[in-house]
Amino acid sequence: MVRVASEILNGRVPEGPVDQIWDKHRFNMKLVNPANKRKFSVIVVGTGLAGGAAAASMAELGYHVKSFCYQDSPRRAHSIAAQGGINAAKNYPNDGDSIWRLFYDTVKGGDYRAREANVYRLAQISNNIIDQCVSQGVPFAREYGGTLANRSFGGAQVSRTFYCRGQTGQQLLLGAYQALMRQVGLGKVEMFARREMLDLITIDGVARGIVVRNLSTGKLEAHTADAVVLCTGGYGNVYYLSTNAKGCNVTAAWRCHKKGAYFANPCYTQIHPTCIPVSGDYQSKLTLMSESLRNDGRVWVPKNADDSRRPSDIPEEDRDYYLERRYPSFGNLVPRDVASRAAKERCDAGFGVNDSGLAVYLDFRDAINRDGEDTIRKKYGNLFHMYHKITAEDPYQVPMKIFPAVHYTMGGLWVDYQLMSNVPGLFVCGEANFSDHGANRLGASALMQGLSDGYFVIPYTIGDHLARTKFEHIPEDHPECLAAIQNAQSRIDQLMSVQGRRTVDSFHRELGLIMWDHCGMARNKTGLETAISQIRDLREEFWKDVRVLGEGESLNQSLEKAGRVADFLEFGEIMCVDALNREESCGGHFREEHQTEDGEAKRNDEDYSYVAAWEFDGVGEEPTLHKEPLTFPNVPPTTRSYK
Amino acid sequence: MSDETLNLTLRVWRQDNSDSEGEFRDYKLSGVSTHMSFLEMLDVLNEQLIEAGEMPVAFDHDCREGICGMCSLMINGQAHGPDNATTTCQLHMRRFQDGDTIVIEPWRAAAFPVLRDLVVDRSAFDRIIQSGGYVSTNTGNAPDGNAIPIPGKVQEVAMDAAACIGCGACVAACKNASAMLFVSAKVSQLAVLPQGHAERTGRVLNMVAQMDEEGFGHCTNTSECEAACPAEISVSNIARLNREYVRATLVNRD
Amino acid sequence: MDIVYKTLGLPAELLSKVPGIGPIVKACCTSVGQKILMAITGLSLVGFLVVHLGGNFNLFAGEAAFNGYAEKLHSLGPLLAIAETKLFAIFALHLGLALSTRAMSARARKSGYEKTESKQSGFLIPNGGAANMMFITGLILGGYVVLHVLDMKINIWKFDAGESKYALVRMVLRDPLHWGVYLVALIALGIHLSHGISSAFQTLGISHPRWNKILRFLSVALAWLIAGGFMSLLVWAYAFEAR
Repeated sequence: MVRVASEILNGRVPEGPVDQIWDKHRFNMKLVNPANKRKFSVIVVGTGLAGGAAAASMAELGYHVKSFCYQDSPRRAHSIAAQGGINAAKNYPNDGDSIWRLFYDTVKGGDYRAREANVYRLAQISNNIIDQCVSQGVPFAREYGGTLANRSFGGAQVSRTFYCRGQTGQQLLLGAYQALMRQVGLGKVEMFARREMLDLITIDGVARGIVVRNLSTGKLEAHTADAVVLCTGGYGNVYYLSTNAKGCNVTAAWRCHKKGAYFANPCYTQIHPTCIPVSGDYQSKLTLMSESLRNDGRVWVPKNADDSRRPSDIPEEDRDYYLERRYPSFGNLVPRDVASRAAKERCDAGFGVNDSGLAVYLDFRDAINRDGEDTIRKKYGNLFHMYHKITAEDPYQVPMKIFPAVHYTMGGLWVDYQLMSNVPGLFVCGEANFSDHGANRLGASALMQGLSDGYFVIPYTIGDHLARTKFEHIPEDHPECLAAIQNAQSRIDQLMSVQGRRTVDSFHRELGLIMWDHCGMARNKTGLETAISQIRDLREEFWKDVRVLGEGESLNQSLEKAGRVADFLEFGEIMCVDALNREESCGGHFREEHQTEDGEAKRNDEDYSYVAAWEFDGVGEEPTLHKEPLTFPNVPPTTRSYK
Repeated sequence: MSDETLNLTLRVWRQDNSDSEGEFRDYKLSGVSTHMSFLEMLDVLNEQLIEAGEMPVAFDHDCREGICGMCSLMINGQAHGPDNATTTCQLHMRRFQDGDTIVIEPWRAAAFPVLRDLVVDRSAFDRIIQSGGYVSTNTGNAPDGNAIPIPGKVQEVAMDAAACIGCGACVAACKNASAMLFVSAKVSQLAVLPQGHAERTGRVLNMVAQMDEEGFGHCTNTSECEAACPAEISVSNIARLNREYVRATLVNRD
Repeated sequence: MDIVYKTLGLPAELLSKVPGIGPIVKACCTSVGQKILMAITGLSLVGFLVVHLGGNFNLFAGEAAFNGYAEKLHSLGPLLAIAETKLFAIFALHLGLALSTRAMSARARKSGYEKTESKQSGFLIPNGGAANMMFITGLILGGYVVLHVLDMKINIWKFDAGESKYALVRMVLRDPLHWGVYLVALIALGIHLSHGISSAFQTLGISHPRWNKILRFLSVALAWLIAGGFMSLLVWAYAFEAR
């Protein structure tokens, strides 16, 4: 049985009507005098949309910021790979959108497992984000007359998605990166690239610094500041194969968790429906095909399980457009979790295509016939090109083959309305926190959340924390810093000293398979229990048999990977524990025991309308569950239906 | 699609750190599937090396979907390998023949020092952006996104330039190790957009000065950069940079 | 090497400190500025070549016409001297910039590749082939200009042409060794200009997607028209009777 903390976890959401909370709260927060701002320093870990935007905005305000990323340049953060777009409630197309509708769609899309007040704030800020990015020179798509263009996206019936061809994330990230570089040039931000955070430094329970490893020299460094902002993304790579970048990891968040920060809803993972299927066991990552493709592509499988004809030879009457069949009102534009599960259902039933039987068709034939190849090329040219590159098949001629893949993680470190974790002084933004997407994220809202947190939330809320707290200067040779360095060093030494036989990647692959099989698109009690014991065994084997060559004090990519995989091996377990605890199906979390007769997810609002925030009690120990109850006075929960 | 396998000889540059002398080492790799990406092939090589007790080859990579710009590699003398408009991570082994010898080298430029094996330091690009590759707009003071209309065609030109992924292939492929394509892409994007107009004079002067400071070479309009660019950035951006530069030199008041 | 470079760059260094023109001189010293000067001087030299070729076509009109043209030029006296000095200065600047940018690229890549392979298709298209031969063809042309001045102005080989420039030109060009050297130099000129002219436009920022192709075509055509025009004189020397 799970150990549940008796105290209710308080999200510190201010009182009031949901549409006024943020405005009132902004007034109530304490301000830092402009002259005093330069006396405060803030550490920002990660330079994606949230981290880049946060570091730049706080530096603009006058804080001294230290920014860290593991890549060779802050411009590489994986936000760059987001393709489709970013939502905003501008209502430029005049199709009935509003802040309230975006709020409503996002709460519903998250299957009523997000905090209402956070989501409302997100919808409110969405419009400022577009303005901010335009003023930075982000080349959003425009109409001939010069106004901003919009397109529709899964889970919404209005066109509210702003985009830059198929590389919206890249352009938004470069906007934030350029703002950050400007501050570096002005001396307001100190940039530390090729640094990986290995530990959080807390002094009297308050976050005051971090330990990083300089990846090009291997040296450990302690950095101190008055607050730490974690913007380190999600943990999808626990599955080994995902659409995340190879370097994405849970280490920073996990080390904070081990220092006391609660990890919330780790079982909420998003499986994206349109990815290029796996082709061999050497495969290192999965490639996403933007969800926007579902605007024009039609998803189908053959009606006959053993139909071996080429897709173009299969006549209309032998095709099963299963999304259009099952969900006539949303059709191919159902939210991601629904589309993914429907694909899995068809493949499990034996209708899958490709050699593996693990793929469905995404067909542009009708769209090309309707709009012409040129129009399609203009909209999706780069995606088609990428697909062609990877698979050597031309999607203008034959339908794409797609299959769901791990894409995004809604869970993350628990934060209150101020985006501060339960460790005072430790703030968490973007995908790394749990706050805004509930159990499922709608398309084009990850970019929105990252930038909202970074540009428009953290710059205010951090001021409140700094103004309320009295800080003493912490030198970088403070005993707590030295202890944290020592701690990180001994873990590295431990990894280097095993000298076993197996490579790090082989462990990572094995862990990924366990997670995918038992904690993937569909979960059940037995499977999750099996997974937990398998993960424990694998972890034990890892520490006995991993082989890391070379030295700690040099550029050593095996060592980097080993540290990350070691953390994933601890983290995977808590995901399964959370999934096991949540006896319901909601959003990306589908428990086979809890489904309707026609296979739809069955939520249990009575017992599970809460955030599950886990407290660390030791590796392999059952964590303690803290519950933050969720209420929905404004968007009363209904069964999510896209039929 | 054919399921062939290849037997390859890899001639890889190995260098322990920026101070040490490097050398080429030859490795045999067999049974390489033609469906593998080039980096997956290197993953397989590394697994093999680790098992044999040799340090794996260090190389930069991250997103593996052609957008982050972190992967590099001079493959048989071509930046990002033989395909046009393709990064190394998107290059597949079906482009190679059984029995091939593949020479793999790091980007070579004085401004991109080698850190280890195939990993180079490209922070010079960051410093160039710091010198002016931005619009000075603080968070919060933006007008409505539709306040300034930008004709679709102009936006397209800006987007073409903005697509640069900052990988450094232009520098690597250029016989003069010039960074003109990279710098011109950013100068162009911000020069054609109204948002960038206020700072266009200082921007081009400062970015060119920083480019020289970092030790990149000059541009001889050979266009090899354009051919090597995975994001298909056009050399017409270089012409625009030159134009901006002349203009800025004449009107600059500093 | 660095010392040589610094010494050569000294005048520019000093000029850049002069108020008023300082910033412009400074701008001209950057990699982009140097290339712009290179383009301007290069196009000026092309202008000279066109005029020079026009004058030389008098050879076809016979001895009287050509010598008359030569005399007219010399009657300009100090004006000619000024023009020649200017021409020499432009030439020297063009050459100096070539050496300076060459040094720049040598510093930009200290250790080269084991293997290099172009990703451009088509060798004969100006960008690709000719662009990689600018320095060598430039050196050939530099040497050729010295020889040409020694030949025609000083008559260093003492051809017995009396006072007639027409006769001198004919004698020089009929000398097999000279003929061969001149031919090589003119081929180098064609190659040099076939990249140089269109490259100069690009460097000066004269570029537009609609006009680039035609501009490039015209540039290459002009390059080979000039080279071909001079080559026609080689044909003239052997194939035409003296008039």
